[in-house]
Amino acid sequence: MSKIMTVDILSSIKGAKPSESVNQLFDVIRNAHPTNNNAANNVNINAVSVSDLREDVVVESGEIEREIIKENFPNEKDGYLVVSKVIED
Amino acid sequence: MNSQIKEIHQQLVSKQITCTALVQEKLDLLKQNTHNTVNSLLEDSALEAAAKVDAKIANGEEIGLLEGIPFGIKDVYMVQGTYTTASSDLLKKYKSAYTATAIQKLLDAGAIPLVKENCDSFGHGSSSENTIFGAVKNAVDETLVSGGSSGGSAVNVAKDYTVFSIGGDTGGSIRQPAGYNNIYGLKPTYGRISRYGIMAYASSTDCVGPLAKSIEDIRIVLNVMSGKDGKDQTTYASDEILENAITSVDGVKTVGYFKNFIESEAIDPTVKADFLAAIEKIKAKGIEVKELDFFKSDTLVSTYYTLAMAETASNLSRLDGTNYGNRIEDKNLKETYAVTRSENFSEETKRRVVGGNQVLSQGFSDAIYLKGLALRDQISENFEKDFEEVDIILSPVTPAAPPVIGDSLKDPLAMYLSDEYTVGFSLGQLPTLTVPQGTVTGLQITAAKRNEEQVLKFANFLKDTL
Repeated sequence: MSKIMTVDILSSIKGAKPSESVNQLFDVIRNAHPTNNNAANNVNINAVSVSDLREDVVVESGEIEREIIKENFPNEKDGYLVVSKVIED
Repeated sequence: MNSQIKEIHQQLVSKQITCTALVQEKLDLLKQNTHNTVNSLLEDSALEAAAKVDAKIANGEEIGLLEGIPFGIKDVYMVQGTYTTASSDLLKKYKSAYTATAIQKLLDAGAIPLVKENCDSFGHGSSSENTIFGAVKNAVDETLVSGGSSGGSAVNVAKDYTVFSIGGDTGGSIRQPAGYNNIYGLKPTYGRISRYGIMAYASSTDCVGPLAKSIEDIRIVLNVMSGKDGKDQTTYASDEILENAITSVDGVKTVGYFKNFIESEAIDPTVKADFLAAIEKIKAKGIEVKELDFFKSDTLVSTYYTLAMAETASNLSRLDGTNYGNRIEDKNLKETYAVTRSENFSEETKRRVVGGNQVLSQGFSDAIYLKGLALRDQISENFEKDFEEVDIILSPVTPAAPPVIGDSLKDPLAMYLSDEYTVGFSLGQLPTLTVPQGTVTGLQITAAKRNEEQVLKFANFLKDTL
């Protein structure tokens, strides 16, 4: 089911509207004529090859790391992260 | 070769100075400075590290070249236990849980971080005015902007508050402030230095790089930070660049420059005249100079911003105040997300996030985003062909001198367009160094991918030639 979503909803920013300055940049691209319209990404190849993937191992985080992650919780109760009320719609 | 790092190393080893006195002096300078370069000082850890270096020297132990050298870090890098704010309200109390790979390598070499440096929020800007810590003032003239987004880093180096600083460059954020403050600044080839632990802006062009006062210091710091990292699978293994490999200009026979950059309506007549005078001096040394054709500036800027905004909209979607950040509670989860982001992001960050979501949405992605990707491919192919003909591409860093503080925020489009000479090399993922010579905001030296050695070699040649 398709649903039209405005940029303020997509961005989770209240009252957000497209900017005129940014639209002027996009117009340049809209009017451009690339010789190949399908990006093949055959020039900037940055992905690692499948034969060179890092080992799939679990790395335990240290005690200091865990403590800081908890310290960064915006709302905490008894060592747990408190989240806002979830409304399904 | 001139090197602040080597000079200080010698002074430490010969006991002319103590590391504690050196670090204290720099901390005092940072505290007293009026350029708004500091987001947070790492005073206690720096003095503790300095005391250890002094103890080693007193015991007659050898110290490494970077051991005890004070440096600065743009406030977008994770350093365990330090505030990492990205100069934003959202993360003003956020503490790094871990340390970025590039910074860890410097710590392992014994360098001492003093300061998390002011910058444009999340790297969103070219003037270091988009920050909650006050606009960074230019090192030469305090009424002018420092450039951005690594403005605090550039000013700290230029004013000798740090020996070197680590910036981040997505579309020019190291090279442009380096030019505005008359120092060296390198954006390495994409993937040479791990991005693990840098706060992501546009992941396909984000690069870690050094700012310093000498070519030799750029070489030293680059060598330490480079290398393959399992935590960033776009990294590649690279060889160390040796000092004697960059002292002679052998191997550089042909230099190119983009004709349309110099014929652009936006270029200041003085910048143009100075650039062409530099070209004549290079020719006089027997190097062949070729004019090259390139994409129009508005195409480069628009391609870059289309892709960068799309990527930043995606990267910043994690910043919703749930696990960390300055959460503002509202009636339910969705409202909490929206209010948190609306109240804590700057106008410029919101503009880029909204622009990114626009180009990624149905109906826009084919007409704009995918076309932007195709243009990037063409730009990169163009560079590949150019480097079959020339060894180096030389360009101005900016079309004009730094603007007055306050002007860039009034006109975002003008700010985007002022990046016209830097963004192309980001899209091409090429190594590019700003040198403080040639024009009022310096020159950019670019070589083919992974050829930082050629860039540094040519920088040494320019140092003796211009």
